[in-house]
Amino acid sequence: MRRTYLGVSIATVALALSGAGGYAQELPGSFEGVRLDVKLIGGQQYEALYERIGEWEEATGATVNIASKQNHFELDKEIKTDLATGLINWCVGSNHSSFAPQYPGIYTDLAALLPQEEIDAFVPSTIEASTLDGRLVMLPRAQYDVSALYYQKSLYEDEESKAAFEEEYGYELRPPETWDEVKDQAIFFADPPNFYGTQFAGKEEAINGRFYEMLIAEGGEYLDAEGRPAFNSEAGVRALQWFVDLYEAKAVPAGTTNYLWDDIGQGFASGTIAINLDWPGWAGFFNDPESSKVAGDVGITMPPKGSAGEYSAWSGHHGFSVTESCDNKEAAASLVWFLTNEESQQLEASAGPLPTRSAVWDWVIEEAADDPFRKEVLTAFQGAAEVAYPVPQTAAWIEISNAVYPQLQAAILGDKTAKQALDDAAAQATEILEETGEL
Amino acid sequence: MEANTLNRLNRRLLKIGHLISLFLAMSIICLPGLWVVLSSLRPTVEIMAKPPVWIPQQLSFDAYVSMFSGAGRGGIPVLDYFINSVIIAASSTIIALVVGMAGGYAFARYRFRGKTAIFVGFMLTRTVPGIALSLPLFYVYARLGVIDTHFGMIMAYVALNVPFTVWLIDGFFRQVPKDLAEAAQIDGCTRWQAFWQVEFPLARPGIASAGIFAFLISWNEFALASQLTRSTNSKTLPVGLLDYTAEFTTDWRGMCALAVVMIIPALALTFIVQKHLVSGLTSGAVKG
Amino acid sequence: MKAWRLPAPVLLLMPAFIVLSAVVVVPLFLSLYSSFTPFRLTRPDSIWVFIGLDNYIRLFGDWAFWTAFGRTVLFLAVALNLEMVLGLGLAMLVEKATRGQRILRTMMMFPMMFSPVLVGFQFKFMFNDNVGLVNNALQSLGLTDQAIPWLIDGNLAFFAILTAEIWSSTSVFAIFILAGLMAMPREPIEAARVDGCTPWQTFRYVVWPFIMPFAFIAMTIRSLDIARAYDIVKIMTDGGPAGRTEILWTLIARTGYSDARMGLANAMAYIAILLSIVFTLIFFRQLAKARQQVGAEW
Repeated sequence: MRRTYLGVSIATVALALSGAGGYAQELPGSFEGVRLDVKLIGGQQYEALYERIGEWEEATGATVNIASKQNHFELDKEIKTDLATGLINWCVGSNHSSFAPQYPGIYTDLAALLPQEEIDAFVPSTIEASTLDGRLVMLPRAQYDVSALYYQKSLYEDEESKAAFEEEYGYELRPPETWDEVKDQAIFFADPPNFYGTQFAGKEEAINGRFYEMLIAEGGEYLDAEGRPAFNSEAGVRALQWFVDLYEAKAVPAGTTNYLWDDIGQGFASGTIAINLDWPGWAGFFNDPESSKVAGDVGITMPPKGSAGEYSAWSGHHGFSVTESCDNKEAAASLVWFLTNEESQQLEASAGPLPTRSAVWDWVIEEAADDPFRKEVLTAFQGAAEVAYPVPQTAAWIEISNAVYPQLQAAILGDKTAKQALDDAAAQATEILEETGEL
Repeated sequence: MEANTLNRLNRRLLKIGHLISLFLAMSIICLPGLWVVLSSLRPTVEIMAKPPVWIPQQLSFDAYVSMFSGAGRGGIPVLDYFINSVIIAASSTIIALVVGMAGGYAFARYRFRGKTAIFVGFMLTRTVPGIALSLPLFYVYARLGVIDTHFGMIMAYVALNVPFTVWLIDGFFRQVPKDLAEAAQIDGCTRWQAFWQVEFPLARPGIASAGIFAFLISWNEFALASQLTRSTNSKTLPVGLLDYTAEFTTDWRGMCALAVVMIIPALALTFIVQKHLVSGLTSGAVKG
Repeated sequence: MKAWRLPAPVLLLMPAFIVLSAVVVVPLFLSLYSSFTPFRLTRPDSIWVFIGLDNYIRLFGDWAFWTAFGRTVLFLAVALNLEMVLGLGLAMLVEKATRGQRILRTMMMFPMMFSPVLVGFQFKFMFNDNVGLVNNALQSLGLTDQAIPWLIDGNLAFFAILTAEIWSSTSVFAIFILAGLMAMPREPIEAARVDGCTPWQTFRYVVWPFIMPFAFIAMTIRSLDIARAYDIVKIMTDGGPAGRTEILWTLIARTGYSDARMGLANAMAYIAILLSIVFTLIFFRQLAKARQQVGAEW
């Protein structure tokens, strides 16, 4: 069922969009006297949107009470705490595709509350990633994340190094399209401790996610059809070996296994990294002379492919969910719709983040017509978004990540071989899945 | 003559050595702090530069300006956090002092059974790591309906600080000779009057030192605050620091600016009471 | 007839009792109970399943847990002792200063104004191997041409965390020891000098016994408050990489919240509580002994 619906062509989406006008009178609707408690993700990047809440209140007559506004990870902790103490007494919550599977059953199916046309207006792959067990648990906002490859353009224009590279590796020096090319070029460019070829986030869900997309690109799978950990395959060893080789060759900073996203971004901005697989939120930062030394020299392209011809395109997105225990689900769904509708997405996307509605994609690209860098960025990320996939949809994803990442680190740092580390990790992950009853 | 010059030289060398080591020690203490201040004034490109930029090229107050310019324009509700922090830290300090004075007075002036056990028991409540406490405490608070309120935070910090204030103040009251209060009572004062007019003034430095410790702990506490506060109703500054971190990005400059805003009041307060602090600790806790 | 009244000490201790039991003791019983269940945050029903000592038995055979336990004890022992020595040095330097005492004392307490979260961020940036202050300084001074992986190598990371912890907490020792030095009567020192003691002997046999109780008070306060170090480690390395800097609190927090296995985490926490109780009792003993010694001289 869902498959066929996801298969809608762009033409149908466009049709549906024009049809959506008919629903404009019904949404946002009128909810005089209704009070909604909401929990939102806090932080500068996310808060501009919340000024729109006032408009929704005016349009519907309802009032919104912000019961909580927290950083991403604190919000996750808070929702788990609420779940544990039986206090899901709020209606709307910020959600994220990587975290959503952990909260089984607390969020209601939005497909039942909103007109199909509105849902069809989103990019199909994000709707798929927001759907768990056939229930649309969240509506994506314009905070979509998939990685693309940033690089320092000038490195690829230097004739001398071009010749030297071709001499050594036998093919032309150009922005890499495969992970093998990334490896060659990273080792070629590296000059520790002043300059590194590339870098990777080295801990927590970050390294596990990077390993996961690399695994897919190499043709492996993280969990098999029965939900059993299958990442200790040959493809898995190849994927992990990529990290190990770069670390051994000193083509990445020695501290990379302690880096998280902010260290990675700051590193590329400091001008000491040649090639950097990173998130869209940094594009503006990298090209701003106030914050980045490589401003004006930033190139961007699709994420590389692995040996199986697949792209590494692990994606995630923020969105809003309505709780199952909410008294007034219609009002809550209306608010969620309002915060993710075209105007809202335009507001968010104009500041840099990527939209999740097809029409808003077109809009941002049109807006960027006079800005070649922004256009290059959007093209790269739109390409990546088309081939993107979310994390495996298991409630234990984060817990598995916590068990797997120390093993990945152990292999990267040379404490274990890749195979041994993956076998150990798979054993632990299996144990976790058995304990949670998923196996 | 010879020995005298040598002696003088020796003393001068010692003095210079002392000054140098003092300077070095103070530099090590202050440098990380100065670095935070500098980072709040410099553009990120300079902080993260490689090769490093040692001498600041451009300084600006942009981070401070945007911090106060409200949500959506790079701002976070600093003012709300600041007010919450002041209310919570100040009230919890005052309450912890009052409770500590009552408890300390009881330990210093009365004999009762199980005194040592109760005393050590009080201290041990402080050894419980926050993580073991946070979820059940949340549960209790949720049942009482005091999640995300000033009251809840104040109570938590009072509990955090009471063992310490009791201990310091107890030591101090012991120092005040019993005869003084007794003499006052013979002169016709009630016990209450004797306390306020004789014992309290003498114990004041000890109370001040307990107060500054309690204040600094409440002002900087993070683990409990991150669990028990949820919105601008009660979020404090240390929790607000994390508003500068998003899922993938951290605004280090903004964070430094907020840190400076956090440190200044604490620094000012310490500067004002530091005299009492030292003399207060001098005999307060030791003779207990 | 006189109305029956509660005895004064009971009345006076009442507020402290009420606050401490509401905020600490009652929650503590709840978490003790949950350590006997397989409680998972995301499955609230699991709190009703009683599994006795299973969590504890599991922990006794868990090598990772005991490694973290050992590392925590080592960390505490090294940090507290170094802080005491450095605090002593700092206090003596400040006490000798003839001018600017007020400023110096305030500066000495400067690190106490820093929230541990902030200390963590600050030192994480300073010890960054690529753009961090420490490596930049070493490379600029020509002391190394390597990017030293401060937060990666097990020993270096231990050192980096220790530095952050010591920087932030030496003040507590310094301020107490300074208080002790200032309260010290002058006569015994003069007498020792007249008797021909070397400065070291004077320090060892006259000054140190006097200030020892102050040092132990600071020690007790610090050991009571030691879990603060969690914030620092959490931000600097979060126990990594590959578990090389895992200490009890990071392990407990990850198990409890991130993995949502609260029951198991609470069992770990109880073992950790035992550890801090032992530390605290040792210091109390020492303190009592030191006090008696000084009391005899006063």
